Amino acid sequence: MAIEQSFLLLKKQLAELNKNPVEGFSAGLLDDEDMYKWEVLIYGPPDTLFEGGFFKAHLIFPKEYPLKPPKMIFQTEIFHPNIAKDGSVCISILHEPGDDKYGYEKASERWLPVHTVETILVSVISMLADPNDESPANVDAAKIWRENPDEFKKRVAKCVRKSQDAFE
Amino acid sequence: MAAEGDKFVYDPERNYDDATMAQIRVMENEIASQNNIVSDRLSLQTLMEEYADADDAFKLKIKDLESRYRYMRRTRGDGNCFYRAFGFACLEQFLTDSKTLPRFKEVAQKSRDELVSLGFPQFTIEDFHESFMAAIKQVEKQCSVTELSNIFNDQGLSDYIVVYLRLLVSGYLQKEADFFANFIEGERTVKEFCNQEVEPMGKESDHIHIIALTTTLDVPVRVEYMDRVDSEKCTQHNFPEESQPSIALLYRPGHYDILYS
Repeated sequence: MAIEQSFLLLKKQLAELNKNPVEGFSAGLLDDEDMYKWEVLIYGPPDTLFEGGFFKAHLIFPKEYPLKPPKMIFQTEIFHPNIAKDGSVCISILHEPGDDKYGYEKASERWLPVHTVETILVSVISMLADPNDESPANVDAAKIWRENPDEFKKRVAKCVRKSQDAFE
Repeated sequence: MAAEGDKFVYDPERNYDDATMAQIRVMENEIASQNNIVSDRLSLQTLMEEYADADDAFKLKIKDLESRYRYMRRTRGDGNCFYRAFGFACLEQFLTDSKTLPRFKEVAQKSRDELVSLGFPQFTIEDFHESFMAAIKQVEKQCSVTELSNIFNDQGLSDYIVVYLRLLVSGYLQKEADFFANFIEGERTVKEFCNQEVEPMGKESDHIHIIALTTTLDVPVRVEYMDRVDSEKCTQHNFPEESQPSIALLYRPGHYDILYS
């Protein structure tokens, strides 16, 4: 039953996103046969270092969704304090309560069953604009972001260019 | 896992988070495989058996309970027990006394729009609300206790009902934020408290959650506290205080079960 519910909920979200696309990203299934694996394309948010980039990511949902969060993994190379080198996104809302190993500040919002693909992506897009260096998943990126803004800009610009090349 | 005797060396490249969560998963599965989500009705004798080796303080309290209650229904200790115990007991009472069911159903039906007006996105709360309403409709059709028990023991349905009851608590606390702000520990707003202690699955309930749920659904509950407090009797508390509840829960530190007279 739980499986059927998560399937239906994801299907409903997919239909809704197709009907009423949300600014800043597009979403679809990675494989039409599998409702639990999504591919999203995030447009680098305007007025940020990531502007102009096209960043592809996968969302992998557990069967227990929405009681448990999906994992999000960027497929496009992206240089950011809160994205691990393997592309995994580490942001508080993708972690369950009690999952404290990254040392998020207490007040940060955790996974809630009311989160959807849309609310997740809105958070991720806001994270691109506004990194959180208190709980970095990419320590190098966090260090450079903090200590050498020019170098950080260069590294991000390189990712943006590469991401554009991939779409030509 | 490091072999015994190995000195622990922190590896910054390793994701300990996943290992911790994997271990929590194992524990969750263990709990899940050993207990039904909501048990059958059991004689209170089983409680005495559970405390056979405990000190007299507990035995006296169980004797006290036995003078007022005859049966209990155990719930799984997964942090959602208050919601499941309350939800089950509440719907079960309507099977024998359906007088107030129409009013309850109306309150439940309207609650979704109230949550939407408080800012909860309709799109995301709809499914949870539908599961809750479906259970109420079964009760309305005078389903058997076994059928109700089947709903609450179906992990998917049962969890969706819990999610919805959590949303109701969150909605009520936020609606009455001015009042409840005084009862929240730490430097947190009511909204932050709801995001951290109410809406996430598995987060245990305290007085404030009980007050919110019983008030918003207008179904009072009596809680019998069987704790270490030095007394021969269980302490009783009605929510709300001046009410005459027809359902009762047993509280032992960190856990709620259902009691029947």
